[in-house]
Amino acid sequence: MATQIKKRNGVVVPFDAQKIRNAVFKANTAVTEEKMTGAALDRLTDKVSRAFPDPVVPTVEEVQDKVEEKLIEAGFAKTAKAYILYRAEHAKIRQAEGDLMDIYKELTFEDARDADIKRENANIDTDTAMGTMLKYGSEGSKYFINNYVLPKDYAAAHIHGDIHIHDEDFYMLTETCCQIDLIKLFHNGFCTGHGFLREPNDIRSYAALACIAIQANQNEMHGGQSIPNFDYSLAPGVAKTFRKAYFRELAKYLHITKAMNMDDAKALAAAVKAGIEWDITLGNAPEYGEALAAFLPEHQRVNGYEEITEPEARRAHEYAVEAATNSTNDATYQAMEALIHNLNTMHSRAGAQVPFSSLNYGTDTSPEARMVMKNLLLATERGLGDGETPIFPVQIFKVKEGVNYNEGDPNYDLFKLSCRVSAKRLFPNFSFIDAPFNLQYYKEGDYDTEVSYMGCRTRVMGNVHDRSRETTCGRGNLSFTSINLPRIGIEAKGDIKRFYELLDKRIDLVIGQLLHRFQIQCGKKVRNYPFLMGQGVWIDSDNLGPDDSIAEVLKHGTLSIGFIGLAETLKALVGKHHGESEESQKLGLEIITYMRKRMDDESQKRGLNFTLLATPAEGLSGRFVRIDQKKYGKIPGVTDREYYTNSFHVPVYYPISAYKKIQLEAPYHAMTNAGHISYVELDGDTAKNLEAFESIVRCMKEAGIGYGSVNHPVDRDPVCGYTGVIDEVCPRCGRHAGEPVSKERLDELRKKYPGVPHYECCYGK
Amino acid sequence: MITLNQNNGMVGEGVDFERIRRITGYLVGTIDRFNDAKRAEEGDRVKHGLSQN
Repeated sequence: MATQIKKRNGVVVPFDAQKIRNAVFKANTAVTEEKMTGAALDRLTDKVSRAFPDPVVPTVEEVQDKVEEKLIEAGFAKTAKAYILYRAEHAKIRQAEGDLMDIYKELTFEDARDADIKRENANIDTDTAMGTMLKYGSEGSKYFINNYVLPKDYAAAHIHGDIHIHDEDFYMLTETCCQIDLIKLFHNGFCTGHGFLREPNDIRSYAALACIAIQANQNEMHGGQSIPNFDYSLAPGVAKTFRKAYFRELAKYLHITKAMNMDDAKALAAAVKAGIEWDITLGNAPEYGEALAAFLPEHQRVNGYEEITEPEARRAHEYAVEAATNSTNDATYQAMEALIHNLNTMHSRAGAQVPFSSLNYGTDTSPEARMVMKNLLLATERGLGDGETPIFPVQIFKVKEGVNYNEGDPNYDLFKLSCRVSAKRLFPNFSFIDAPFNLQYYKEGDYDTEVSYMGCRTRVMGNVHDRSRETTCGRGNLSFTSINLPRIGIEAKGDIKRFYELLDKRIDLVIGQLLHRFQIQCGKKVRNYPFLMGQGVWIDSDNLGPDDSIAEVLKHGTLSIGFIGLAETLKALVGKHHGESEESQKLGLEIITYMRKRMDDESQKRGLNFTLLATPAEGLSGRFVRIDQKKYGKIPGVTDREYYTNSFHVPVYYPISAYKKIQLEAPYHAMTNAGHISYVELDGDTAKNLEAFESIVRCMKEAGIGYGSVNHPVDRDPVCGYTGVIDEVCPRCGRHAGEPVSKERLDELRKKYPGVPHYECCYGK
Repeated sequence: MITLNQNNGMVGEGVDFERIRRITGYLVGTIDRFNDAKRAEEGDRVKHGLSQN
């Protein structure tokens, strides 16, 4: 029997059982369907007290957990729920007394390296002024949402870690992400809200405007921004650059070979452009050459100008094509290099983050698009200024049979190049249009039907709201909330039926919460999103005026339920995860199939796109397990690590072959229609073996994976610029971490290796 | 910023190696920026072999 209790402020005081009885009594009176007798109240109070035999000194939280547990055990489920809400209410009051200010203190006075809260999201630098300002806003907003906006049961479920409402700080504000169709956006120009931009006319301006579009949209949404058709979108820029270069080079050639003055040569090139009724492209240059050979001599003769013979016209054409192709290729490389630099440096969100950008490409087989892709890959391979691996954009190579997968496919060379670049720089990732759940939407030649992935893994394709619009562009996720699956596994205590009952309740709760958030989103107008809606980026928003509601067009988006820790769930339920046992794999698939069915049923019922997400848990992987460790202690294989395993992944610590891991994870891709990703970890040497690398990607494709990537260590020494695997000692300059290298040694290395960074002068003396 | 110390002619004292890893589908400049849970996860990762089982 407990005699003492530790209060939240750490002070130990005498244990008072009467306080427990009062709290339970209060909760019971709030419930009409269950009445506890005085004797029942006494029994329950006694059971809780006895659960902490002297000299154990329980904390308030532990006692309250025990009350919940004993109430449920005794069959007072409704009272238990009321008690949980009562706890949540009190948690709120406590928070009001100081928690938010404590968070502000931590944000203000701690370094990011010491404060986990400042590293919740790895791409926000919270050591900077704007990063900290962003966190003040975010934490203050969460506090407001939890205490004043969310209905009590959602708030309690979120605070206690039954569920996690992602991007909760944006609850009142916006949607997650969008797949931006640049072709549509660039047509006739667009406005960022701070100025109008003309339709671009050169690959360099296409690339610059692509970055601006991503940045402008990022400032209106809380999730990532994706270009689903980067190859198709940028190809017209290459075509325009080539056309201009061709006539410039043609004039130059005539100027030199025919001794024409430059103005006359330019005028003649312009006459050609006007006289031949169709445009030259990289693809039709030979036909254009024929047309030129017919046009030019005739044009000179008719106008009584200086004679140009047919062979001369052909030579001029050949020169112009070669020179224009070269300069266009150079310009495209520069444009892609600038784009990568921009996407790693241009700021959004109060200056604390770069936009969360994704580029999908791989299927446009036109020479212009191929030039874009080749140069984007080469610029990625080369790296940033000092050879650093670019962190953004996330690049996704769309693998498709007949287009780029096999020898003889028109873009097979680019697939090979993608493997080579990914083996060095970790990007591109690979998406698989041939996976049956992606292939069902695919129509050859229509990029809007090619699946695209955003950032971590988000996928938006099916559309119950409008079956005729099962497309990529202009759509995205509205919001998502994840379920703490391992906790349900723990609470079911090995009883599968019980597991499903609890899971059903949790799903019901989250559906309610997603709809609550959706209602708030539907209350917004076009003017709240001057770019996303005002410039017609979101599907069908181009038909709306500034004061129109966005409720109807939002229905093309998705409402997603995510999950984390299938592996730990299975461990809790049956003792083995899906890497360890076929039975567990079977059960894992049953569970996820069931969750998907609940989403499909809800979609049918409401005409809204409810989808199932393999959650990209970054902050969450630690948050759930920390709460569960407090609640249930360290359960081996379940709560005994610092993280829950990512979605349906086989645990990272479990030794398994790449092939087996892919086979086990592939079936879950078909179930998780809101997005998924599988990884394979290779050591540095294997990753350098391009055949091995490609065989992994092919294995993913054949197994029915939707989206995957290969992880391998990419280390870099900022002092000598070496990129590759560094164990303890840098293989190039020979220093350990933190050690300096002599100036002479670095200057010597610079003669041998390109890209040894220049050091700054100086400090000391 | 890599700087030369004029007192001893040495460059890069105190500079760590950058270790770039994928966390949840995207990359991070260096694992110093990972949160505690993801750091632990990264430390636990085992490599996958290429055999068929």
